[in-house]
Amino acid sequence: MIKATKKWLFLKISSLIMVPLMLWFLVNFVSLYDSSYNEILAFLSSQPSKLLFSLFLVSMFFYSALSISEVFEDYIHVESTKKLLNIGVFLSSLIIPLFTIILISNL
Amino acid sequence: MKENNPLSPHIQIYNWHVSSLVSISHRITGILNYFLLIFICIWAGSIFFGEDAYDIFKLFLNSLFGKFFVIGFIWSYLFQILSEIRHWFWDVGLGFELKTSKITGLLVIFGSFLLTILIYSSRGFLQL
Repeated sequence: MIKATKKWLFLKISSLIMVPLMLWFLVNFVSLYDSSYNEILAFLSSQPSKLLFSLFLVSMFFYSALSISEVFEDYIHVESTKKLLNIGVFLSSLIIPLFTIILISNL
Repeated sequence: MKENNPLSPHIQIYNWHVSSLVSISHRITGILNYFLLIFICIWAGSIFFGEDAYDIFKLFLNSLFGKFFVIGFIWSYLFQILSEIRHWFWDVGLGFELKTSKITGLLVIFGSFLLTILIYSSRGFLQL
């Protein structure tokens, strides 16, 4: 399989997982965003919201990293800049969700 | 150069159409959503660091600007979702006709606003 096809396939699989999780998160977020500390703590530390939130982060970061690199592909013409930006996006898409999941799994 | 993917044509040279508006907005909201996602992570992470850390978010999200931020945030994600669903149909070869693509583009634009209102008004009584 060509690299670009593989990337497209991963993008589609992650988007299929991300869309329902995103809707789930949005519906909960509108009810929670101005809540008290304890209410959000209860939401993030209980199941299944803890697991769903973690899955949402992983799928959304994965989807975002792939789609943003697609945008770089189209608009950034200097190879070295593109490479650097891609590394930045991929690394942050790995570190940020991982760190957040570790934090909320310790709640 | 031979092995590189072709570059996208520059958007400034074309007239605006529903399809181009949705296409560029899909990209802009995609990048915006990445930063919003980082915001969500810091918001969720602040819970770990205690009530004082979370209070900064609470203060911001409870302000008038915070409410606009949340509504804009929800719209941006819903736009991305609807536009992505439109892409799924394209991926299986459906909806390429000019007329259909215009209608689905308009559905994405108006649907994102309508869904934002619906989801925001579900506040308080719908929790999954």
